[in-house]
Amino acid sequence: MDRWVHPAIFFFIGSLLLPFVKGKAKKLLILFIPVLSIIDVALMHAGTYGSYRFLNMSIVFGRVDRLSLVFAWVFVIMAFLGALYALHVKEDGHHVAGSFYIGSSLGAIFAGDYLTLFIFWEVMAFSSVFLVWYRKERRSIEAGFRYLLVHVFGGLLFFTGMMLYYYKTGNLVFDRIFPDNAGIAEYFILAGFSLNAAVLPLHAWLPDAYPEATVEGAVFMCAFTTKTAVYVLARGFPGFEVLAILGTAMTVYGVFYAVIENDMRRVLAYHIISQVGYMVAGVGIGTELAVNGACAHAFAHILYKALLFMGAGAVLYMTGTAKMSKLGGLYKYMPLTMIFYVVGAISISGFPLFSGFVSKSMIVASAHEKGRLMLMAWMNLAGIGTFLSVGLKVTYFTFFGKEAEIKAKEPPKNMLWAMGLTSALCFIIGVYPKVLYDLLPFPVEYHPYSLPHLSEMLQILSFTGLVFFLLVKKLQPEAKLNLDMDWFYRKGAWVFMKLDERVISVVDAFWGELYRTVGLRVLFKNASISYGFDRKVIDGVVDGSALTVREAGSIVRKLQTGRIQAYIGLSIFLFFLILWFVLRGM
Amino acid sequence: MDFVKYIDLLRKNMKTLKKVLIAYLVAVVIFDVVLPRDEAHAHYWIDKVFAFWTVFSIVGCFLLIKIGKGIAHLFLSKDEDYYG
Repeated sequence: MDRWVHPAIFFFIGSLLLPFVKGKAKKLLILFIPVLSIIDVALMHAGTYGSYRFLNMSIVFGRVDRLSLVFAWVFVIMAFLGALYALHVKEDGHHVAGSFYIGSSLGAIFAGDYLTLFIFWEVMAFSSVFLVWYRKERRSIEAGFRYLLVHVFGGLLFFTGMMLYYYKTGNLVFDRIFPDNAGIAEYFILAGFSLNAAVLPLHAWLPDAYPEATVEGAVFMCAFTTKTAVYVLARGFPGFEVLAILGTAMTVYGVFYAVIENDMRRVLAYHIISQVGYMVAGVGIGTELAVNGACAHAFAHILYKALLFMGAGAVLYMTGTAKMSKLGGLYKYMPLTMIFYVVGAISISGFPLFSGFVSKSMIVASAHEKGRLMLMAWMNLAGIGTFLSVGLKVTYFTFFGKEAEIKAKEPPKNMLWAMGLTSALCFIIGVYPKVLYDLLPFPVEYHPYSLPHLSEMLQILSFTGLVFFLLVKKLQPEAKLNLDMDWFYRKGAWVFMKLDERVISVVDAFWGELYRTVGLRVLFKNASISYGFDRKVIDGVVDGSALTVREAGSIVRKLQTGRIQAYIGLSIFLFFLILWFVLRGM
Repeated sequence: MDFVKYIDLLRKNMKTLKKVLIAYLVAVVIFDVVLPRDEAHAHYWIDKVFAFWTVFSIVGCFLLIKIGKGIAHLFLSKDEDYYG
């Protein structure tokens, strides 16, 4: 195929058609959009497509190579599974927001320059926030605003870096940066990327917002934002030592909170930080095996983390709560959900035959290969925490444990199908890793099912299980909130409000009073002079023009009905009129 | 559903289940001891110590729970309406 079709187009155009179809047709369309994009990605060949000149810079919409393709593959597969899971959602806006979010993620991974990347980057933030707001609860709306503000801040870091980079190099080509050449511009860009990857200490937005998102929205969110960030880090910053260290710190930090949290989805959200930590560390280690591992882990992680969020979402959807302190004994009522959740949990923990075993181990092995034994040990400690928190704690206290009051049923069929399919994929990747390895950017010489590795993982998992059952009483979930870095801006905002109330508003009031007494008197005097000049001199010169303006004004006034639909209609009409003029001129 | 019955069956026979699991743990350790260690994989001391990851997991998991819960109770945990 010589012509390249950007897969984002299906999501952008398709979702805008959604409000115009009804019933079965709507459901078909929701599933049809990702299917088209899967076919599109399957037909793609490596190359550079869709490049334009803009303001003397080259803009590239389609950089297709092995690195962008592996992410494209998992994004479109996840788009389908997520759409299936969200099929029952009534609000069109939810589907539109989801589609724009996925489309812009695809736009970001195919972007060949910083400007294109930046635009899609921002669309991602602004479309995904609606997946939080659609929960329509006060906490979600507040969390959504915080999410947006933090991402705007991250976008500004990125934008600053981009401008400095342009100033330095005269172009905006987005390519590999070497640690030795990196200056302030590159580090600003790195900081902007890191915020989206939830790298410490810029991570608090993630466990703050994701657990407040809608049941279906969280499934989308856990897949795209952080993994797009992993992609751009793998593209631009492999071999940065700071990423190896912060990434490894993330793996442990995430599980630490996952062990003490109470809300199922917050455990999973913290655990994203841990998992993305492996990928960031892989990028930081920077060898071919490590970057391959980061990509493989991103691929596998998107599937099993989505599966876990689907399972936790199903519990929340059917019982009305995801707090483990209120749950327990659900295996009797939601056995299928439990099986699927457990498949996700053992995949993420790295059980042999499941996908985590073949992906996570590549990164750990790359640390081992380079002799970074400390990194390896910390990552394996995080592996212990993974099985402990996501695997054992959540499963035990939600599906087993003491019987709670809450009785529930299995979730709707489409949710079960989505979970079933995702489980199947986790298993297929685990037993037949070649399907995944063949997609990776570098040729792979790695065999996960070696005896030492098998033994290492079996020891880690089995003895974590032992300690869990010995200390299970200690791990009883508590209905508490745990402080994190968001304390600084959540409490900081409160301090600012107090400052505003006590200091700024007082100064403002004083200034206003001063202006009223002194300024206004001067202003009135001035106005009366210029008014006289205007009436006697200007109108005399351009006679009649004032009258014309008044007449035209009364026509415009009739257009201003004050109804928002009329304004939107008029704007769209004008937009197309301008577009027509522009296109005709080309 | 049959699946639920199987789980209930396991829950009724906890004592047998425990014995089976302990036997399994012992098998895991023995597996690591008898495992052939070729020079290609075992570069570092970590790879040469028998059952290294067994000890690592027991200590690591214990510390993770103790330190995690400890710090949580010390100052991280607040009431759920802490932020209003």
